[in-house]
Amino acid sequence: MTGHRDINCDLLVIGAGFSGMVAAARAASLGLKTVLAGNSGSLLFVSGLLDYLGVYPMDSGVTLDDPSQGLVRLKKDLPGHPYAVTGHGKIIQGFEFVKEILGKAGFSYYLSSQKNLSILTSMGTVKPSFMVPKTMIKGNILFKERKKLLLIDIKGLQGFSARQVAAGLENRFSEIKTLSVEIPNIRKAVPPIVLAGFFEDFEVQKAFVNQVLPFSDKFDIAGMPAVCGVNNSLGIQQKLEEMTGMDLFEIPGIPPSIPGLRLKNAFEKTLTASGVRLLSNIHIKAPVFNGKKFTLTGETDTRELAIGAKGVILATGRFPGGGLHARRERIVETVFRLNIAQPVNRSLWHGLDFLSRQGHLINRAGIETDQWFRPLDERDRPVFQHLYAVGSILAHNDWIRLKSGSGVSLVSACAAVDSFYQSLGKVKP
Amino acid sequence: MSGAKKIIQTQVLVIGGGATGTGVARDLALRGVKVILIEKNDLNSGASGANHGLLHSGARYVHSDAEAAMECRAEGLILKQIAPHCIEETGGLFVAVPGDDEAYIADFPRMCERSGIPCRPLDLKDARQMEPSLSQDIIAAFGVEDGAIDPFKLAIENLTQALDLGGEYFDHARLEEFTIKNHGIVNARIFNTKTRETFFIKADTYVSATGAWAGQMATLAGISIPMVYSKGSLLVTGKRMATRVINRLRKASDGDILVPGGVVSIIGTTSVRTDSPDGIYPSVEEVDLIINQGKQMIPALGTRRYIRAYCGVRPLVKAGGDDDRKLSRGFSLLDHAKDGVDNLITITSGKLTTFRLMAEKTSDMVCEKLGISSACRTRDLPLPVTSTGEWTEPGVSLRQGFHLSDKEDTMLCECEMVPASAIDSIVSDIRRNGGKPDLLSIALRSRLGKGPCQGSACSVRVLSHLYNKGEISGSEGMEGLRRFLNERWKGEHALLWGTSLAQSSLKEMIHCGLFGMELGERKIE
Repeated sequence: MTGHRDINCDLLVIGAGFSGMVAAARAASLGLKTVLAGNSGSLLFVSGLLDYLGVYPMDSGVTLDDPSQGLVRLKKDLPGHPYAVTGHGKIIQGFEFVKEILGKAGFSYYLSSQKNLSILTSMGTVKPSFMVPKTMIKGNILFKERKKLLLIDIKGLQGFSARQVAAGLENRFSEIKTLSVEIPNIRKAVPPIVLAGFFEDFEVQKAFVNQVLPFSDKFDIAGMPAVCGVNNSLGIQQKLEEMTGMDLFEIPGIPPSIPGLRLKNAFEKTLTASGVRLLSNIHIKAPVFNGKKFTLTGETDTRELAIGAKGVILATGRFPGGGLHARRERIVETVFRLNIAQPVNRSLWHGLDFLSRQGHLINRAGIETDQWFRPLDERDRPVFQHLYAVGSILAHNDWIRLKSGSGVSLVSACAAVDSFYQSLGKVKP
Repeated sequence: MSGAKKIIQTQVLVIGGGATGTGVARDLALRGVKVILIEKNDLNSGASGANHGLLHSGARYVHSDAEAAMECRAEGLILKQIAPHCIEETGGLFVAVPGDDEAYIADFPRMCERSGIPCRPLDLKDARQMEPSLSQDIIAAFGVEDGAIDPFKLAIENLTQALDLGGEYFDHARLEEFTIKNHGIVNARIFNTKTRETFFIKADTYVSATGAWAGQMATLAGISIPMVYSKGSLLVTGKRMATRVINRLRKASDGDILVPGGVVSIIGTTSVRTDSPDGIYPSVEEVDLIINQGKQMIPALGTRRYIRAYCGVRPLVKAGGDDDRKLSRGFSLLDHAKDGVDNLITITSGKLTTFRLMAEKTSDMVCEKLGISSACRTRDLPLPVTSTGEWTEPGVSLRQGFHLSDKEDTMLCECEMVPASAIDSIVSDIRRNGGKPDLLSIALRSRLGKGPCQGSACSVRVLSHLYNKGEISGSEGMEGLRRFLNERWKGEHALLWGTSLAQSSLKEMIHCGLFGMELGERKIE
């Protein structure tokens, strides 16, 4: 069924999580006519920290100082890992690309030059990351300089306790104090998204500053939950810094995540500006390939439309995103029914220790590809010339344990789009 | 031995905080006996917290054990009188599907009659109307008087009355050694696994109500009780599947009883021999066995979402034979005077339904040893209703959630609607009983972490709340969270497919991906 609302494009990206957003942005930057279809709500579950490689080997139990050193070992040990077909230079280029497009949309990131950054979490643990929102970066120096630290929580914001963060930092600082700030008119629980909106209000900023100000002489720096405005978070933070006379940094925590929302907004802004067509809340199904192009059906609550595309990038994520579905017997890929590398039966999916350092085998299940990120069939041949898979759906990639989610997503997304672009006979501008 | 050691004196020390142990504590306290109850983990940590929550009509046992069937019938009637707030009188069905033993089906009414168990044949259409989730293929159906009982509430109410009458309770108190002289226990050395404190209890009589650990406990007194450990696993559905208890009409086997538990249903069990009562977990194979059997009676069990699996160990005193279900479910009450230890009694095996009778018979034996003549009062005296028990009944939390009156109150667990005020009241209960609150002990007393999110967000919210209230400090929170996550995992990992797997992946993203809970130094317990 076709109609005047049907769509034709060069590249259809399925999935509007981090890897799908990067792929669509890359395609648009190359001048490809691009459609991005999927639910971008999944970005509310990401912390906003963009990791390269935080832990390797997994059973070391410690974080990597220099991810490129870990990469050398990983490529040797794990030939099936998505990083095995790329290199440090390509990964850095990917980070730079993402930094640039997010920056253009008003979301400023700090990209490390070589070493992992140490980012304090709301649990009081320290997370290794490589590119972080500038509103979080001042926390990174804490651990080297042993500053006098003020930790701020906000009454009504659940799941974030300054005392808890401080408990995780015992003995690491010369002085830590906790402070609970009250925001006018918040009497009970306040959702983080509402609270972040409040922070864009000057009256709320003043109330915050007035309660912090008495401590600004005694402390060097203050950490607070990542709710410093939805839009223009860096600008708001700088304003709060001026008014308090203190350095500030944001601390990431449980979803729904405001840095994730900022990412979603920034990506959507940049993609719209560069002419990408966004189809949200749409279910993509029934792919057909006629020898020249793909035709897929996009289904919303109210209608169905046909989408024609020369190439397709599958960026549908894993189980939470819906790219993979686990039946009681086996794991299936939901759009193309692609071959999924997986353990032989369900009793091997998970180990008996939830927090084991080796992780669970199910997290290594996924799509195996060739060096251009094209999914392979049972005989190790590409399923289609112009079908690619990127991001967390890729096999042999336990990003949760390796702390490598964003790096794998952005490098595979860029590589797949570049490869598709070149295969069309075009030369990179 | 130094003179500074802490010794607590009592008439009776009861070991084991399950249904039987709390029942014995209450029974003795009501007879005016000074009693201390110790539990090595938390209330109902053993089989008392890991069963169907089924109040047997007796019909289940009419074939294998007519005496047990009659016992269940009599005790069930008593419990309905004295503890109606712990029971839902659901009624029950026995149904058969094609392929089930026709001779057994034909014989069932006669067997019930022999044991005096009420049982009425049902028209198949009527049965399906009563329980629409039943398979269209059922070939026989009978109505019986099964019910549902909340084992947590039961234990808490029994303990609460024992404490009100002057009893004492210590949790996380592990019995490590008996000092024995002249055919009697002089004292017991106890180690508190939370405070790392050692103390002694000196009692006139000692009762081991340790269930599957009865053999290990007896060994400390130099006595051998040959035990067989039979693991049984059960699954909790996301929603309630039926109004009544539904039994498979055949000889006892796997996955053949579905029991309502408030807003959920519980399907089980299995019977797997294990070498030890410790370190057990429901396996993927057991989960599949239960579902594949259960869906023959109720097809929706094949597609329903499950929120938790758990298992317990049936403590059976060895008799021989291959099928552990054929071993007597009747209880074992052992006077160890015959083994040369005059003041030690073991009570083990039995069923939740008969816990009161077990406590009565045990207390009779205790009183005989102590020379006390006061009679048992639990047969008629109602079990008090206290607020302490309020949060253990499934569904109560849901209703409370909609009645948030205090404007300052906030919801900490959104799946199960547990507000901050409920957490606070549970915490103060735990403190009042001398315990130290953490996520696990709170989860035991509420539906925290038992909802669809598997505890991914509420665990963090409750933890922050506890820090803000000053209830925990330092690294306690982190260690408590690890214990909570790993305990939850035991009941979760074999059930992960479909949306449950997606939720569990999110939890791993938060706790490992972002917080790195798997990294750093860890205390091995």
